[in-house]
Amino acid sequence: MRQGNSKQGRRILGRVTQEEFVGRTAELAQLVSHPAVAGEPRGLLVLLAPLAGVSELLRQTYDELFNRQGEIVPIYFQVERTYATAVSAAIEFLTTFVLQYIAYKRDAPSLCQTSLTLPDLVRLAPPSDHEWIAELVAAYNKERFSDDNKSLVRFCLSAPQRVPPRSGRPFVMIDGVELAAYLNTAVQLDSEMIKTFNRSHLPYALAGLRRQVLEAVHRAGTNFETVDMLRLDRLTEEQARQLIETAAHRQKVSLNEETRDLLAEQFEGSPLFITAFLQAARERNVSPTTYLACEQLYVDDLMGGHLNRHFNSLLEEIAAEPDVRRSLIRVLHESAIGGNRKTPFETWRRLLNAETPALQKVLAQLHMHELLNWDGISVEAGGGPAVWLDYLKMRFRLDVMNEPRATVVAQSIADALKRAPHTMAHHYRRTVNLKLRELLGRFNGQLVPEKLFHYGDFSASYKGADLEEIVRDLDVESQLLRLPQVFHTATCSSFVANIDQFGDKECCVAAHAFDGAIYTAANQVVWLVAELESKLEADRRLTETWLDRLTLFAIHSGFHRTRIWLIAKEGFSLEASELLKQRKAFGSSRQQFALLAERIGEFEPPSLPGKPDEFEIVLPMGDDNELLAASITEQIARRLDFQPEAINQIKTAIVEACINASEHSFSPDRKIYQRFRLESDKLVITISSRGVVPSNLQAQITEQGVKFGELDEASEERRGWGLKLIKTLMDEVEFERVDDGTSLRMTKYLRRTSS
Amino acid sequence: MGESTGASIRSHCIGTTAVVYASDYLNKLTGEKIERECRKQLDGGCRALVINFSDTELVNSIGISILLGIIDIAERNGAQLIFSDLNTQTIELFQMLGLTRHVLLARDEEEALTVLTSYTTQTSTVGH
Repeated sequence: MRQGNSKQGRRILGRVTQEEFVGRTAELAQLVSHPAVAGEPRGLLVLLAPLAGVSELLRQTYDELFNRQGEIVPIYFQVERTYATAVSAAIEFLTTFVLQYIAYKRDAPSLCQTSLTLPDLVRLAPPSDHEWIAELVAAYNKERFSDDNKSLVRFCLSAPQRVPPRSGRPFVMIDGVELAAYLNTAVQLDSEMIKTFNRSHLPYALAGLRRQVLEAVHRAGTNFETVDMLRLDRLTEEQARQLIETAAHRQKVSLNEETRDLLAEQFEGSPLFITAFLQAARERNVSPTTYLACEQLYVDDLMGGHLNRHFNSLLEEIAAEPDVRRSLIRVLHESAIGGNRKTPFETWRRLLNAETPALQKVLAQLHMHELLNWDGISVEAGGGPAVWLDYLKMRFRLDVMNEPRATVVAQSIADALKRAPHTMAHHYRRTVNLKLRELLGRFNGQLVPEKLFHYGDFSASYKGADLEEIVRDLDVESQLLRLPQVFHTATCSSFVANIDQFGDKECCVAAHAFDGAIYTAANQVVWLVAELESKLEADRRLTETWLDRLTLFAIHSGFHRTRIWLIAKEGFSLEASELLKQRKAFGSSRQQFALLAERIGEFEPPSLPGKPDEFEIVLPMGDDNELLAASITEQIARRLDFQPEAINQIKTAIVEACINASEHSFSPDRKIYQRFRLESDKLVITISSRGVVPSNLQAQITEQGVKFGELDEASEERRGWGLKLIKTLMDEVEFERVDDGTSLRMTKYLRRTSS
Repeated sequence: MGESTGASIRSHCIGTTAVVYASDYLNKLTGEKIERECRKQLDGGCRALVINFSDTELVNSIGISILLGIIDIAERNGAQLIFSDLNTQTIELFQMLGLTRHVLLARDEEEALTVLTSYTTQTSTVGH
């Protein structure tokens, strides 16, 4: 029965509607258009990073093509864990193919959900297709009693070739190719699929873990020029947040922005983890609106829910024997917490007490899932997603250490809660960090004013000057520096593992380059670039520490000719600038960095329900917006008849609180949330922002919130006075406990003058 | 007597004394402008500086930290420095943060200039 326009958007195999399917728009378009590409039909290898998720993408492709009712007949087949052999999988493929073909030709989506035998399907075949389908089934009945398994597998897989050209062109999409590795059979299903489909002259898509698919293509002896590739990585942060929102809405699970962002980070953009978690939330009727609720649910699910079952079945497939599995958990967990992660194969054989062929199989499968790297000689373990490492740790404590379950649960929740703020802090820092690698990659031998690399000179000329004036001067600057041509950039921690203990790893970068784009040994140079954390101009001590650190790093890494470039937000003190000169190193402030970025190409520099007597205001950070806050505060304070002196004190405190919020929080939304509550004898103001808790505040915040009087007043620093001022100007100051960022509550009491 | 306005900072010279006018809000940006102007005046041969806060209504802690830097610069250059025309609120803030230990305060510009004139022969202190 044809339904005209109502066909658009029909959900057939898709688990979600088109609108709810987020994050893979470009990939969906590529898949849908693949079978219609002009010329000889080609195969498409959909190469998945582990946990990237592809099934829904293929199902959405199926639905889109089905609803079009065009020449292309979509066929979706998923290799499942329940198939014991390649033969059983191939027979299932044949049945699925015939079923979906008839469903398509009859435009009867509901048929796709039925379980019919081949004789049933012959009876259902449309008259125009009846003949060839009956012949196909008859031939299959003959073939299946032969002793040649490989021949039977090939027969089943080649069924789409029997569709007469006038009846359309099947587009076969195979999902879960990696599961072919677990089939207990001499016939390698994945290779057979590739060989058969390549010979079919029909378009096809083969989706699976990238290592496994590429290995199968090699085994099948396929010419890579005859296939296209679509690489699927995990979702970006933005896509992950979108997925969490739509999935939570679908599952009727309440979240807020803070926990949404935490989940996006914690699950590293994995659709599988995200959907498993939200499903668990719905099943257990939990609203993950606090970090506490999130982590309790996470640990629950890891101990006995969807996540637990996922990893359990993965481990059981990889190591069927319980003893080997237990040893494997121990070795993998110890590798994850150990320093030296590369181990000879022989060591693994001894540690696991396993026979060589069995161990090779285990390692091959772990390698396929990218839970370790194995090159046939040595094993590099300790990797994998954080959720996997949490699972390993939990299993290690339960199965190897035999710790009580209650202890493991409690400790796991505590660990997850302690980690949550660090996860978010890392995310916020990453968001605002200078994009060093991106900038270095664009150097490309360009000429730029040398002053941009010498903070001392720059500061002497331009400190306090208007931006227009600086840009104008730099345009006519005669002292120019020829930047090198960078051909490779990597974080310093890629060369030396422990250097990232000094800060975020993206803040320290090594760029291999040639001066003047002349490819000779004499011109080869490595730029070592680090972003220093300093509120003020970086002093000599900090600068020297980093110069020494990077010099040692260069020696350790065998870099012969280097150029050190340090970047500090506010630049460098006079003494530090002098030291940079002595050591022939470059030093820039963030302003110089931004000016440089502008010069060398397209670059984007690191840019509540109320009560009657409550006011809420949200202001963007920056642009002196603290003045707006002060002005609004003045108007509100006047309503309570505060004296002018007190109003001035409140205004100054507000200004300081806003500056604190915007200066150090790495806020993701760059907003300051202000709440004013008028009471008969006082004004209570709460200033909140999302992001990192500044280190000078961390000590102030405990579970109950600590009174301000405990602030260390001995600090002689010229910055960081804001809190001291607030404390002096207001009557009560305390921090409210919040999951994400800071919330400062300040109270000023009304002192009426006697009339 | 020469006068310049710079980008937004007014200043003028009386002999070897420069008077620099702070704007209505003293923050990082305007603080750095004052610092730049002071450096310029010192480089031009001025031996004394008066920073006039008559327009200043609000001061933040970053602005104050920059003022401390200006005090250092004046010291290093052997120049006298006086803050004038501060409102009560600003004086309280400066006292709170210890600035008044390092700089003289004058009621107004005239008093500041008088003090600087007499300073050439003798050291004196003034205050409110």
